[in-house]
Amino acid sequence: MAPVSARPPLGRALLRLFSVQASYNYERLLGVGVGVAEEPLLRDLDTNGAGDTGRYRAAVARGAHFFNAHPYLIGLAVGAAARAEHDGVPPEQVERLRAALCGPLGSLGDRLVWAGWLPLLSALTIVGVALGAGWVAVAAFLLIYNTGHVALRWWALQAGWAHGARVGAALHHPFFPRAGAVLGPAMACAVGLALPLGAEFLTDPFETWARGALAATAAAGFIALRVRGSVRLNGLQLGLGLVAGALAIGWLWP
Amino acid sequence: MNLPAELVIALLVWGTLVGVDLVSLPQMMIARPLVAGTVAGALIGDIGAGLTLGVVFELLQYDILPVGAVRYPEYGPATVAAVATAHASAGVLGVGLGALVGLLTGLIGGVTIHLMRRINSAAVHRATPLLETGDSRALVRLHVAALLRDVLRACAVTALGLGLAAAARPLLSGVLTTRDATLLAVAAVGAALAAGAAGTLRLVGHGRSLAWFAAGLGGGMVVVWLR
Repeated sequence: MAPVSARPPLGRALLRLFSVQASYNYERLLGVGVGVAEEPLLRDLDTNGAGDTGRYRAAVARGAHFFNAHPYLIGLAVGAAARAEHDGVPPEQVERLRAALCGPLGSLGDRLVWAGWLPLLSALTIVGVALGAGWVAVAAFLLIYNTGHVALRWWALQAGWAHGARVGAALHHPFFPRAGAVLGPAMACAVGLALPLGAEFLTDPFETWARGALAATAAAGFIALRVRGSVRLNGLQLGLGLVAGALAIGWLWP
Repeated sequence: MNLPAELVIALLVWGTLVGVDLVSLPQMMIARPLVAGTVAGALIGDIGAGLTLGVVFELLQYDILPVGAVRYPEYGPATVAAVATAHASAGVLGVGLGALVGLLTGLIGGVTIHLMRRINSAAVHRATPLLETGDSRALVRLHVAALLRDVLRACAVTALGLGLAAAARPLLSGVLTTRDATLLAVAAVGAALAAGAAGTLRLVGHGRSLAWFAAGLGGGMVVVWLR
């Protein structure tokens, strides 16, 4: 076991975690970014301070292996793996710990953030804009979203470092099921509210006939996006197709 | 009317920050179209256009769930380019032209993200022997180089979008009639509403949340009717 610092450089690791996806690649996915974030926490293993201690270098190499998870929760894996290296956990067990965390951290983060917190606040911002709040709604979105974002990153890193190889306990924190139970329905309700209000806001300069055409276009587009054929249409393809069609109609219609 | 050079530079810087925020640093959601568009609108002195196009592309963004190595369009710099296009084109013309330029820029942005990840993969592959020795300097160098590549990529995508905006305004705004511009705006807003609804329903599924979605939709309709 290596001595665990009374004040590990968690702040430095946190700063590096903000760029964890910068070197995203199809070979190791987020592995390089995870290794970069973990490196400051491994420096205690470098007993001669020259970066050439075998244990330090082996831990740095392991830290940069394949990894994928939700970027806001990756700190949990970074902290846990670094702590496990300090605690003298065998290398193969550290590798297994990292592999075991990929799935849960990915699905938990996707559910809570990408499919919950983010669309919930985005939809409420659209509602705010539609009701006349303007840029204030957008500023509030940034402030509230990032309060949760930074808090989650910081909690994850601290919890990972505190639990080490027993990090599974942190994943069973009662906050997660409660948050999931609230965020899913809240997001659904907020987006439902935002759609008609957003439509009203966007059609403000439209004439009456254009509003009718919009209703028909949106309905047809929705059906096209929901059809599950061999080729699945996405929003961008639908948008480009409809815009091209509108230009062609305008050109052909005298 | 073309934008003054200092505004183009400001939009280029903003679009680059927005493009880097999407994936690389720091993911604080300035890449969300609502934020990117509002700030771009403020820069050109037309927050209304920024908010309108921001809402259009924000709804299109609901179609995207950035999980795993999935490929998706990039709507942040696209929204900046869209707002630049809408400059001095009031009402439906601004929405239609802006959406056209924004959709094309979003497509190009998505392609460049995929290309950059392939370049990153090749760089990681080349550096594997060094990485396996635990060389922390090589690791950090690899990471920073990838970050700088993303800065260049985001800058190039924004520049291309602003170029499209500069070309679209004189080419199309004088040719399109009010009816043509309205059709264009209907197509863009229709696609955005469809993508917003379809993307959300994919997230919501068939459980309890579907009832909440229906309740929200009903509530929104009532608010619209009351207004």
